[in-house]
Amino acid sequence: MKSQSNFSEASDDKTVWQLFLAGNVEAFEYLMSAHFRRLFQYGSKFSKDQEFVKDCIQDLFLILWEKRENLGNDIAVKPYLMASLRRLMHRAISSKSWMAGESLDEKEGSFELEFSVEQEYIDHESTLARTRQLEKLLGELPKRQKEVIYLKYFQEMSRDQISEIMSVSPQTVSNLLQIAIKQLKKHWKAEFLTFFVIHLFI
Amino acid sequence: MDRYNHYTVEDFVWDVFFRQWVLSPTRETDIAWNEWAENNPEKSDAIQQARSIVLSMRLNEPEISEPEIREVINRTLSRIRTHSPEFAPNEEPVKRPFYRAMWLQVAASVAFLMLSAWIGYSFYNKKEAKQSGEYTYADAGKDLLLVEKVNTTSANMLVSLSDGSKITLSPKGRIRYPEQFVDAKREVYLEGEAFFEISKDPDHPFFVYAHGLITKVLGTSFRIKAYELSDEVTVEVKTGRVSVFAQSDPDVVEKASNRELEGVVLNPNQKIIYTREEVRMIKTLVEKPEIVLPKTEVPQFEFEDTPVSEAFVSIGKAYGIDILFDEELLKGCPLTATLDNQTLHEKLTIICKAVEASYEILDGQVVIHSKGCRN
Repeated sequence: MKSQSNFSEASDDKTVWQLFLAGNVEAFEYLMSAHFRRLFQYGSKFSKDQEFVKDCIQDLFLILWEKRENLGNDIAVKPYLMASLRRLMHRAISSKSWMAGESLDEKEGSFELEFSVEQEYIDHESTLARTRQLEKLLGELPKRQKEVIYLKYFQEMSRDQISEIMSVSPQTVSNLLQIAIKQLKKHWKAEFLTFFVIHLFI
Repeated sequence: MDRYNHYTVEDFVWDVFFRQWVLSPTRETDIAWNEWAENNPEKSDAIQQARSIVLSMRLNEPEISEPEIREVINRTLSRIRTHSPEFAPNEEPVKRPFYRAMWLQVAASVAFLMLSAWIGYSFYNKKEAKQSGEYTYADAGKDLLLVEKVNTTSANMLVSLSDGSKITLSPKGRIRYPEQFVDAKREVYLEGEAFFEISKDPDHPFFVYAHGLITKVLGTSFRIKAYELSDEVTVEVKTGRVSVFAQSDPDVVEKASNRELEGVVLNPNQKIIYTREEVRMIKTLVEKPEIVLPKTEVPQFEFEDTPVSEAFVSIGKAYGIDILFDEELLKGCPLTATLDNQTLHEKLTIICKAVEASYEILDGQVVIHSKGCRN
């Protein structure tokens, strides 16, 4: 813990990153502890195996350390780390499923979001129904749309950051978001209506 | 905030500004939204409902405690410390062989785990494995009529096989092969280093057994290094495709008999490093990749304001290597350069410098990292 004291809260990611590039182990440690939780949360969307996610993060940082002389010194650290972890995990997962003889599209592409509905915030039954409906619809979105929604609404990332993390163009991010939201709203309305009608008849 | 006048509940739920106010209100957002709600009393129901939904939909993030995080960090630190020269000042700063590079180890770690499982399995079924052909060079083919050639000279030795295949045996290399290939499989046993040019015959796949590694080809040229005293076996492909697998692989029989190439498949300019001790395979590129296209089809690598993506495609094609990059990001990056006389790595380095990108070799492919050009 002592090493972290060398980095005041004022040290921004960029400064730490440059120290890290220069081979400073304390900067390395700081980077890793500052980003670990978020990376872990993100990584867990690709695999439920927590040990595997931890190993991937460890590997990610070892790779970065190893390659630090070839890394850019003016990068946005957070999206860069997330993008790198994403790539690394995709590769690891696809070779893992290849080894296990599973078909790729089955395993490679999962992005799982789990929600819980906190009822304490809900005062009407109709709101509860709507929330549950939304939860279900979110779960049915294609994985890339789910990932965009997650990064945008639950990690509060900007369009450019998301585009970097998922290595797609900013335009693609916008498109994915638009399609996803449209989908959520459309079905929501339709299904909500059915729900309502059924209730009227019961 | 006029745009909110026609918002429905679901519009609010997916509005970033609205969510910010609900989830982490500040004085400013509070004032803005309260004022808006006062002016739009007909929306108060919608706002109330959207608010409940946003608040109640909680994403379940996995739990991880600080000590757990600490543990991983400490583990990682101890690994970089044992690797960093600055923490071992008395040690000669040895340049580590490139295949020791961490990313390669990572790329191979999964393969490593699986192979460990295989080993365990084959240990378990040792008898079966014996039958499926586990042997050392020394007892290979004792019960068969095999010719042995040993290169005791200091020059390369050319060995011709009955099917027209040619083997260039390096000094000190030994090879055993049948005088006539009569079986469905063409099988030879190698110790040391050799370059193989195998004549094409898909009905009779060609197998090289070397130090625990099986290389299966249909017709191609490649080099194998399997020195007796070294733990490593490498296979480098020049043309065609080969597949390699460990003898310890429990599926070895099936893989060997299948007409398709299975196991780790290598393309031209790719290379596998198989470490016997650690039982892992690492796929990478040969040190000096060569152009695989016939001379007449090799394009000129002269680029003038060419989109860099085109340059990558043309180079990838010439070397028969996959170069992965983000088309969208590199769209706006023009490249002007003449790169006819450079090696693949020089070409890539120069191009990456020019468009502020970087590259790495991963699993036998080139991966371009770029943030795009904004001009």
